[in-house]
Amino acid sequence: MSVVTTPSSATGCPISCDEALAIARKDAETAYRDLSGFRIIIERKVDGWHIDYELSDVYLKGGGPHYVIDATTGMIVSKRYEQ
Amino acid sequence: MGSGIPPTQAPTVAELLACQEIQAAMRQAWADSLPGDPANRHEEGGWIYMDTTSRQIAVLRASPGRQSTLDLRNPPLVAGSVVVATFHTHPNPTAEGWAGGPSGFDELSADALGVPCLIRADNGDHTAGPESRRGGLTGNPGFPA
Repeated sequence: MSVVTTPSSATGCPISCDEALAIARKDAETAYRDLSGFRIIIERKVDGWHIDYELSDVYLKGGGPHYVIDATTGMIVSKRYEQ
Repeated sequence: MGSGIPPTQAPTVAELLACQEIQAAMRQAWADSLPGDPANRHEEGGWIYMDTTSRQIAVLRASPGRQSTLDLRNPPLVAGSVVVATFHTHPNPTAEGWAGGPSGFDELSADALGVPCLIRADNGDHTAGPESRRGGLTGNPGFPA
């Protein structure tokens, strides 16, 4: 599993990138038995941290979890378990 | 679909879903996915072929996938036939928050491979990608070029 981060201009937010990743991973591990085939893309947007588990090959079928995490409270605003 | 009339176009998604042989293959794939077994449920699927002369449909299964992924990149070649669609299952339950419909990568891969993608989930059948094989029944015997 690899992590791809995009530069964020929103520095100093209460929930750090690493904390957001940990929140997402904790939830993802309850639903997905194995996350090793995914790369993670994390991006800070207006509505929070967007964390997407993506496949590494566009020709593969399937999907991973997708999250929006509130950058102030750390709450999961939305999530989608793709398959 | 075995009309004996030389085909001019690849079958559409609606025609594929109406085919009894394909429905039977999707039912079997769904059962093999073990949707009722949380520890072992996994994706199953395969490729749907059409004989370019007789218009007969054939189905081949792929190796079992993982809980939420399946590799359908390398269809076996079938003499005189071309791949007109892929199919696979989404065995994880929508009642537990899983999306039954196509993932973003289901859409991307179907567009990239050039054939419709048929999906069976606990909330019904779904499709992704083109309406029929890109370029009709001509081109490569596997996926269209």
